[in-house]
Amino acid sequence: MAGSCYPGPPVTQDPLLLQFRAEIYHYALCRFRSPGIPDNRYPVPEAAGVSAVEVRGLSRSFDGREILRDVSFTVGHGEVFGYLGPNGAGKTTTIRILLGLLAPGAGEVRVLGRDLASDDDARRRVGVLFENNGLADRMSAAGNLAYYAGLYGVDDPAERIDELLTLVDLADRRDDLVGTFSTGMKRKLGIARAILHRPEVVFLDEPSSGLDPGAQRMVRDLILELSRREEMTVFLNSHHLDEVQRICSTVAILAGGRIRAFDTVANLTAASDRLAVTVSLADPGDRAHACETAMGLPFVAGCDVDGDVLLCTLADPGATPDLVAALVGAGFRIEEVRRSSRSLEEIYLEHVDLAEGGA
Amino acid sequence: MSTLGIIAGREMRVALRNRSILISGLIFAIWLPVMSAMGIAAGAGEEVTTLAGSIAAVTLPVGVFMGYIFCADAFLREKRDGTIETLLCTPVSLRCLWEGKAVGVAVPAYLTTLLSAAVTAAAVTGLTGAPVAAEPLLLAHLAVVVPVWIAAAAGLIGAAQLALGMRENQILGFVLIFGFVFLIIGLQQVVPGGPGISATTEAVLAAAGVALLALARVIAGKVTKERIVRTIP
Repeated sequence: MAGSCYPGPPVTQDPLLLQFRAEIYHYALCRFRSPGIPDNRYPVPEAAGVSAVEVRGLSRSFDGREILRDVSFTVGHGEVFGYLGPNGAGKTTTIRILLGLLAPGAGEVRVLGRDLASDDDARRRVGVLFENNGLADRMSAAGNLAYYAGLYGVDDPAERIDELLTLVDLADRRDDLVGTFSTGMKRKLGIARAILHRPEVVFLDEPSSGLDPGAQRMVRDLILELSRREEMTVFLNSHHLDEVQRICSTVAILAGGRIRAFDTVANLTAASDRLAVTVSLADPGDRAHACETAMGLPFVAGCDVDGDVLLCTLADPGATPDLVAALVGAGFRIEEVRRSSRSLEEIYLEHVDLAEGGA
Repeated sequence: MSTLGIIAGREMRVALRNRSILISGLIFAIWLPVMSAMGIAAGAGEEVTTLAGSIAAVTLPVGVFMGYIFCADAFLREKRDGTIETLLCTPVSLRCLWEGKAVGVAVPAYLTTLLSAAVTAAAVTGLTGAPVAAEPLLLAHLAVVVPVWIAAAAGLIGAAQLALGMRENQILGFVLIFGFVFLIIGLQQVVPGGPGISATTEAVLAAAGVALLALARVIAGKVTKERIVRTIP
């Protein structure tokens, strides 16, 4: 499953630094992110400064109920990381532990190599957006941002506030009370608040929760824009799998208190021990016969006629050319062949079902 | 501006924009003094020290209650809606956050209490025909004892609201208010000096206020972020 690496957006134009950075990413993401390791343990790099977020062997229980069990993963600088899991899986608990709001039961967590629970100053480098946005309804949009700018010690806050209000398209509402804003507007202002102090890592807990599809798209575009423009690491906790698939470079699936999968989105969706291939024939009348022919091939695990196409499952994911050659050799005229990768939703549900089944 | 000043200033601005809290505070600051003034006027005659003592006795419970009212916005509401969780992630220590909020609560509570004292004095003057003298002990009471008690009440109630769940807070709010009121009445009764205002009474009340303030700091120091986060509804 592991193989391709996500280098993340560049933070510098210096070729030497870029080269160094690429080496670091290669080391962090390829060397240590091996999905074949049993018991869902993912070793983290020895060099603590490499990762933006490091979680090692994290466990936590509440009232005797184990919420997190030996959770380990790392997030590289500049990555947009998706942390997935069903309700009650422990996603928010993980974020709270990372932010120093809850103590880990066992294990160790680091953000930018620091323990945020004991390091007040390190929290200047981290932004967070919880479900409630952290805004006062009885203050204006600009007033709310000015308050947090004061707490974080932002230089030239007026200019930064103007810049962010323009970015989130709220410049014309800067003096309006937040209590008069829609849910989507509050969310956008919440994101502006979270990145006000130019954090290196930002934690977004369900940023699209409760938003209509248009607002969800707006938030998604905003996150991507921020990731590119502000060059920050984004730790995204979300139920919206489509959203995660679109914007995240790497994901971890948490279910039953354990990490069930951890890889790049590309690897997760492409990887499978079997591959589905759809074949469209020039002559639809040949479909049943072509299906029988395909079933007779040793590398084809199954074949069905699905509407106008053949849906073949290959036992060997690399056998697509062989399938095409065999069908053409048997006299069938092929119009189109498409490899179909699994969606993140399918992979997610597979892991969650497996966890709920007692795995 | 210091971080404490930023937090306190914000709490004051938010409190001033909360109409329901302002209205209930003002009603209490005007209704109670007028009712008290009628009792003071009926029982005190024209004895200046008795009038001053009665006014002093009323201002402390009013101040504590004002602290409780303003705490609801600064501490409890932020906990109920979860805003406190975001604030706990800022580079501000929990102690500084508590102190800033307590100051932000104490200042409007103190100003409302001064308004209440002025209304009481005006009402007593109107009812008795004898103006309440600006007695040094009464001024000292208003300038020192009252703010210390309000700060102690805001600090203690705020720390309790941060540490406890919503259900416990409903019960504890009343327990603390009545606890403060009974403590004030008890101290005023126990300390010798008669019904009027006296240096001994003021000294004891000031010392008790400082002790309560210290207790509030100790209790607030025991509150952890985990405790706060785990009691967010």
